[in-house]
Amino acid sequence: MAQETSMNPTEVSAFKQKVIDASQSTKTITSDFDQFKHLDFLANDVKTSGKMVFKAPNQVKWAYTKPYQYNVVFTEDQLLINDGGTKSKVDIGNSKLFKKLNELIVNSVKGNMFSDADFEVTFLKSAKYNKAVFIPKDKKIAEYISSFELLFNRDDAQVYEVKMIEPSKDFTQIIFSNRILNSGIDDSVFSH
Amino acid sequence: MIRFLAISFGIFFLFSSCSLRTTEGLRQVPHVDSEITNPYFANSNLDYVYKAKIEVYTRNFGGIQIIKKTDANTHRIVMTTEFGGKLMDLEYDGHTFTKNFVIDELDRKFILEVLKEDFRMLLIEKTKPIATYISPEAQVFKASNGNRFDFYFFGSTSGFLDKIVKTSKSKEKVTVNFSSLDGQVAEKIAIHHNNIQLKIDLEKFKEEKNAN
Repeated sequence: MAQETSMNPTEVSAFKQKVIDASQSTKTITSDFDQFKHLDFLANDVKTSGKMVFKAPNQVKWAYTKPYQYNVVFTEDQLLINDGGTKSKVDIGNSKLFKKLNELIVNSVKGNMFSDADFEVTFLKSAKYNKAVFIPKDKKIAEYISSFELLFNRDDAQVYEVKMIEPSKDFTQIIFSNRILNSGIDDSVFSH
Repeated sequence: MIRFLAISFGIFFLFSSCSLRTTEGLRQVPHVDSEITNPYFANSNLDYVYKAKIEVYTRNFGGIQIIKKTDANTHRIVMTTEFGGKLMDLEYDGHTFTKNFVIDELDRKFILEVLKEDFRMLLIEKTKPIATYISPEAQVFKASNGNRFDFYFFGSTSGFLDKIVKTSKSKEKVTVNFSSLDGQVAEKIAIHHNNIQLKIDLEKFKEEKNAN
């Protein structure tokens, strides 16, 4: 584990600006990911893998391919789900929590969520990465997530790891790899 | 004659309404006092991880079902979304369920009672049956569960536990079908309810082959 120290105010503002610049120049992202669900009573974390596709301003698709096929497309008001051939839609229009989660996911993929008033953010650095830790102020969200951590490459300010820590300390960790930026992505990728 | 027919029909309806489908085609044999075992969640060294697909009244949900035997009599039961968010975290000691965490949307007495009863059927490891039946395909044990019964079907050739059926005196309530290659771990589990439109299908995560 790399040793972490707090960023000073100058470092924080330079880091934020670098992330905002990077996210503004990012029109599309495709990336492989490995997801690990850690539960303290299990011998091994539960691993799933797949591909994530993002297209600005807010289209996101998570396609799990191992060990099962499961696609979710996030739209403004709906989750479009294809669960191994079984298609369904979930309305998120009326759910404040779901909207917030959707926003979190889009913004964490882009790496630009520092202006979010719903979180208290602290910034840390190590030789390998910069880290932003988000603690929800909203009590409802805090029942599900005690903190949300994003790890950024020091050089290109891209997110390479997302970690959602629950109040029980169990967590979900998503590690991105093989990231491709600004390739042409057709809107049909996000169709149901 | 009319009276005879009336009595005959009466008897027919009486018997047909009381006859339990589960034991049709089975022959009851003398019962030997013994214990039967459901091996499918009995190994405390294993993490039991399944992809879950749930169909409730034409609506579909999915998730990951995780079960672990944490000591001699206790199981931990966690369900998460595909993204890893916890939906439910229960503990079962063979008699009582303890609720560690349940999201608001699922935290309804009716939903939890149905799920707890399904988990009980999956997790009860040792049972003392009260009657034994056979057919060419299966050896079947009837166990008492309050005012309900659980019928355990073991394949007569494989000896594997293939099915558990929960019944009242006259009706099948829930059927759990197991598909297993070795009789120790269930690759697939299908839970079908007869009195409500609820189906839960579980498919075990496949072991990842080491690339080296």
